[in-house]
Amino acid sequence: MQKKISKVKNKNVQMVKAFILDTLAWAYIALVSYKVLYDKIYIENRYPEFAWKQPLYALYFGLAAAALLFFTNFSLGRGSLGLIKLRDDEKATTKPFAFIGYLLIILTFVTGFYVSQVSLKEFFSSQGLEGAKRIFTALFHPNWSIFEQGLFAAIETIYMAFIATAIAIPIAFILGFIAARNLMTGNPVGFFIYTALRTVLNVSRSIEPLVWAIIFSVWVGIGPFSGMLALCLHSIASLTKQYSEQIESVDDGPIEAMTATGAHPVQVVWFGVVPQIVLPYLSYTIYRWDINVRMATVIGLVGGGGIGNLLMQYQGQARWNEVGLLVILIAVIVWTMDWASSVIREALK
Amino acid sequence: MLEIKNLNKVYPNGYHALHNINFSVPQGEFLVVIGLSGSGKSTMLRCINRLHDPSSGEILFNGVDTTKLKGSALRKIRSEIGMIFQHFNLIPRSTVIANVLSGNLSRTGIFKSIFGIYSAEEKERAMKYIDIVGLRGKEKNRADNLSGGQQQRVAIARALMQNPKILLADEPVASLDPATSHSVMQYLKKVNEELGVTVICNLHFLSLVRQYAHRVVALKAGKLIYDGKPLEINEEWFKTIYGEDAVEVTIN
Ligand SMILES: Nc1ncnc2c1ncn2[C@@H]1O[C@H](COP(=O)(O)OP(=O)(O)OP(=O)(O)O)[C@@H](O)[C@H]1O
Ligand SMILES: [Mg+2]
Repeated sequence: MQKKISKVKNKNVQMVKAFILDTLAWAYIALVSYKVLYDKIYIENRYPEFAWKQPLYALYFGLAAAALLFFTNFSLGRGSLGLIKLRDDEKATTKPFAFIGYLLIILTFVTGFYVSQVSLKEFFSSQGLEGAKRIFTALFHPNWSIFEQGLFAAIETIYMAFIATAIAIPIAFILGFIAARNLMTGNPVGFFIYTALRTVLNVSRSIEPLVWAIIFSVWVGIGPFSGMLALCLHSIASLTKQYSEQIESVDDGPIEAMTATGAHPVQVVWFGVVPQIVLPYLSYTIYRWDINVRMATVIGLVGGGGIGNLLMQYQGQARWNEVGLLVILIAVIVWTMDWASSVIREALK
Repeated sequence: MLEIKNLNKVYPNGYHALHNINFSVPQGEFLVVIGLSGSGKSTMLRCINRLHDPSSGEILFNGVDTTKLKGSALRKIRSEIGMIFQHFNLIPRSTVIANVLSGNLSRTGIFKSIFGIYSAEEKERAMKYIDIVGLRGKEKNRADNLSGGQQQRVAIARALMQNPKILLADEPVASLDPATSHSVMQYLKKVNEELGVTVICNLHFLSLVRQYAHRVVALKAGKLIYDGKPLEINEEWFKTIYGEDAVEVTIN
C-alpha cells in the first residue's frame, strides 16, 4: 500500500516536471525565433531593443503550446522523461518530440553564431588579412631591446604570484578546518560558523580575480599591490575549498584511534588528520602558485602591475614588435611554471 | 573493574543498537564478545571508551561512572583504556616508533607532541613495547609499509604505551589470514597474562574464542543473550546466537 502511493506520487511529479520542461522549451523556441531569426536576421536590426515583456510573452506562448501539445507525441518533456510508451520497433530518435529537440539545438547554434558575430567575410577580407599579416610579422620580429624591461616586469609578476600564494597558505590552512563539514557540524555553533564561512567563500570565489583587481586598484591604487591582493583573496577562497574537501575525505580510523588514547582535540587533529592531508595540500598549493602566475599576467592587463601591465601599454600604442617580445616571455614563464609544478607534484606522489 | 548497567544506545537516526546491557568484567579477565554482524558489538565497545555516547545506563570503570564525563576528565579515563581496531588505524606516513609514541599523547604536552619532543623515558618505554610485540629493528620503518599482522602489533604496542588498565579490541584479526590471526591473538594473550591487562575482544571465529577466551558474552540484535564459559557454547546456543542456518567454520 505504502509503496503504491509513493509510486503514484512519483508519476505525478514526473508529469509536472515534463510539463515545466515543455513550457520552457516552447518559450525558448518562441523567444529565440523572434529575437534572432526575425529581429536580427530578417529585419537586420543591429541592436534590437530588449523589453522584459518579451520573455514574459514567450512564457505565455510556451504555456499555451505546452498545454495544447502535452498529450501528443510532440511533448519533449514526456518524451525525454520516458513517459511516452514506445513500441519495440520504434526508436525515440525518430519520434516527433525528438525533432523538437533537434530544433532546439539548431536554434541555439544559429543564435550562438549571430551573438558572437561570426563573419567569414570579415575573417577573409583583404583588409583584415593585411592587418593579420602586419601583426604576425611584428610578433615574429620581437624587439629585444626591451628585454630587460620585460624581464623585470616578469619577475615582478612571479614574485607577486608567489607572495599572494604564500600569504594565502596559512590563512587557508586554518580556514580549511573551519570549512570542513565533518569537523564542524557536530554542534549548532560549529554548524553556523561553517555555513557562514562557506557562504563568504563561495561568494568571493564566484567573483573573478580580474574584478577583484579592479576593485582593489581603486582601493589601494593601480600597481602590483592591488593585483597581489586580488590573487591572494582568490587563492584563499580556492585553497580553503580544496583543503576542506581534503579534510572531509579523510579516513576516520586514525582520528578514532587518537581520540581513544585520550589525546587533546588539537593533538587528534595534528596526528589523526594532518598526516593524511599534507601531500594533497602541497600538491594543491603548488598548482595554485602555477595558476597564480598565469592569472597575475592577466590581472596586469587591468592595472595589477607586472608584465601584463607592460603588455597593455605597448598594445595600446600598437607597438607590436614589443608586444611580440612580451608574448614570448609570458609563454616561457608559463611553460616553465607548468613544467616545474608538474615535476614537483609528480615527485610528491 | 568494569561494570555495565542497563546500557542503551540509540543512534541519532533512531536505530536502537543496544538494549539494556548488563555485565561486569573482573580484573585480569580475557572477555570475548560474539554475535552476528550488526548485533552491536562495535557499538558496545565504543560506548566503553566513549567514542560513542551511550543513551542511558551506567558504565562504572573502577567505580567511576564514565557516561557523564567531559573534557579532561574524559580524556584521563580514555588514556587508561587502550583500543585496537580491525583496520589498525595507524597514523599514515609515520614510523613505527612515532606511532607507538602517539599512545602516550595524553601525557605529553600539546606543544611538545606537535614538535615531536619526547623524553628519554618515553622513548625507552616505546622501545620496550616494540620489543614485547616482536618488532625490534623495525622501529624506524614506516608503519604503513609493514604487513597487516605487523601493523596490528604496532597498534598493540601503541595501546600498551598508554599503560592501559583495560584493552578493547574490535575484531583485531578480521582482516588477517589464519596464521597471522593466531600470532596477533598470542600477543593479546601475552599482554593479558604477563602484563595483567584486562582484555575485551570482539571476535567472529568460535575456534579462536574457545582457545583464547576466559569468558564469552553474546549479543543478538542489541541484546545480551549469553554470558558464560566458551566451552559451554553447544550446538543449541550456537544456533540461537548465529541463527538456524549457521554452520561453524573453523580456523586453525
Ligand atoms: N553511526 C550509526 N548510525 C546509525 N546506525 C548505526 C551507526 N553505526 C552502527 N549502526 C547500526 O547499529 C547496528 C550495530 O552496529 P555495530 O557496528 O555495533 O555492529 P557489529 O556487531 O560491530 O557488526 P560487525 O560485525 O559488522 O562489525 C547496525 O545495525 C548498524 O547498522
Ligand atoms: Mg563491528
